[in-house]
Amino acid sequence: MSIKQIIDPFIDIKGGLIPALHAVQKEFGFLNKENIKTLAKSFNISDAEVIDVITYYDDFKLEKQGQYVIKVCQAEACQSLGCRDLWDTLKSHFQLEHNETSNDYSVTLKEVFCLGNCALSPSVMINKDVIGRANSEKILTYLSRRQNNFKND
Amino acid sequence: MTDPIKIYIPKETSACSVGSDFIAEKINLLTQDHKHISIVRNGSWGAFWLEPFVEIEINGKRTGSSYLNKDISQLSSIEEFLDDFNKSKPFNILETEFIKQQTRLVFSRIGLHDPLDLDEYFNSGGYKGLEKSFEIGQQKTIDEIKKSGLNGRGGAAFPTAIKMQTVFDQEAKTKYVACNADEGDGGTFSDRLIMECDPYSLIEGMTIAAYGVGASHGYIYLRSEYPLAKYFLTEAIQILKSKNLLGKDILGKKFTFDIELRIGAGSYVCGEETAMMESIEGKRGLVRSKPPLPAIKGLFNKPTLINNVITLASLSAILMQGKDIFSQFGSGKSVGTMPFQLCGNIKQGGLIEVPFGITLNEMIYDFGAGTLNDKPVHAVQIGGPLGIYLPVHLFNTPLTVESLIDLKGSLGHGGVIVFDDSTNMTLQAKFAMDFCQKESCGKCTPCRIGSVRGVELIDKIYNGTAVKEDRILLEELCETMETTSLCAMGGMTPNPVRSIMKYFPNEMTN
Repeated sequence: MSIKQIIDPFIDIKGGLIPALHAVQKEFGFLNKENIKTLAKSFNISDAEVIDVITYYDDFKLEKQGQYVIKVCQAEACQSLGCRDLWDTLKSHFQLEHNETSNDYSVTLKEVFCLGNCALSPSVMINKDVIGRANSEKILTYLSRRQNNFKND
Repeated sequence: MTDPIKIYIPKETSACSVGSDFIAEKINLLTQDHKHISIVRNGSWGAFWLEPFVEIEINGKRTGSSYLNKDISQLSSIEEFLDDFNKSKPFNILETEFIKQQTRLVFSRIGLHDPLDLDEYFNSGGYKGLEKSFEIGQQKTIDEIKKSGLNGRGGAAFPTAIKMQTVFDQEAKTKYVACNADEGDGGTFSDRLIMECDPYSLIEGMTIAAYGVGASHGYIYLRSEYPLAKYFLTEAIQILKSKNLLGKDILGKKFTFDIELRIGAGSYVCGEETAMMESIEGKRGLVRSKPPLPAIKGLFNKPTLINNVITLASLSAILMQGKDIFSQFGSGKSVGTMPFQLCGNIKQGGLIEVPFGITLNEMIYDFGAGTLNDKPVHAVQIGGPLGIYLPVHLFNTPLTVESLIDLKGSLGHGGVIVFDDSTNMTLQAKFAMDFCQKESCGKCTPCRIGSVRGVELIDKIYNGTAVKEDRILLEELCETMETTSLCAMGGMTPNPVRSIMKYFPNEMTN
């Protein structure tokens, strides 16, 4: 689908910029300069106004993300069951800090606050899957299983 | 002839987070050639420590068993699975103390059925509330809600009917209903449970609210961290549209109402109602100053009724069963039931809907069975990241909106997080400021800069480099943030910090 086709349904709905940003990012993985220009033109606003919105929200990305975006919850319920240690372990395992992506674009690591799975803390979200009672072994097993399935496909 | 068998396997975020999808996949494979066996992906009962909780219904008798940490991948036939299930001492979840001790009015349907099965929704009283509302008319609908005593469940506990009346009284061609489903408070998941396990009750409630105030368009602002809730809401809206329960001439009445689902983008402040409106309008989620109230000038400058998910879902229950189901419990601002969310370091965490007035001791020990790691409980944070930490000697306080205000806190959205005695309370105080620093929208100075200074000061205490004046400074900073911030983010961030200084003074030392 072309970017124009993606944006089109949102131009005439009220407050359509954010749904349009979601849709473009879903298709391209992140929001590049060219797409920002097209968005600005379509919504009849300036590039700066589009960037203004993008940079406010954590979800919108100006750079390519890893194949697996690993979000490690660091909110209070998870703190009560050791999410700070889990975060440190994962950081050193992947050699990544918050919001960093590995050189091969396989993993992006993020700290987030609350995934709504607080009775089964600590919680980690990998792309759309939430993992409860998480520990580093569980995370790594999940990833290696996914990668094997990916190869078999 | 073999008796038909129904196998219930929850499709809900917490259940899936501990493997319920894998179980469903496996059982699906094993039942391929068994026409008498059907699989139902139900919601969760909210007893999360049991998840994945698999139930089997045969001859009208339904029992279940926990499949937590059970590996069924090696099973080769469904007979083997059923045999194994029967040996696991399955029980009826409705007879467990955890469920029996609750009064589930708003959460009466969760866990029972496939949340998208509209027939089941109708069979359990669905759309009776809206029918009643249509029958008695707009003003009487608002009156009924007023008499029920319902206050908002999002955190501020504002009387729902007063908001509705204000929007109703506005003379405007266009009015909106906006459902705040940006459940960002750490330690809360009740909105998510309604959206994933009984989405029709939320949509019916929104429709009642829209009819009551005279709105024809609604928004649900859902946080992006809830992809499964997005799936259920999208499907539910689609199904209701196809059945004329959304759109034009709902239930044959000359009333039109549409709902648009909007997905947030990872900002905590967008759960604040004015920031949410900015975000729905496609802008940065900066807080607006009030007045004007959203009920007078809200979304796109039109009168807007903004309510939390639970508040709106409560309307379906109240209109269906009458105001008394709520007003029979409690008094003052604490009328009806409250869905508490027991979580953190707890053995039996989950959704606990009970009348206001339950104590933390009852919650932690009667429902929760103590900490997960058997260490002594040391503190509880109640009401999300802006909520206070309470020490053990206050665990007998009956939890009401008023009692938490008396303790200089807030019941908020009903999250209860349990911490054991290895918790470093100074780090918890620091986190409160740090969270504010990370999530502040940046519009007002006390929140934007105060939180940074707060982190620095508490860091000094943590590192042992603080001097006496730093403590006085921290107290003054808290007062400044509380009294001069634009919204609750900066205004209530001092609450957890102050509660730790007050109730755990020896643990905040240099």
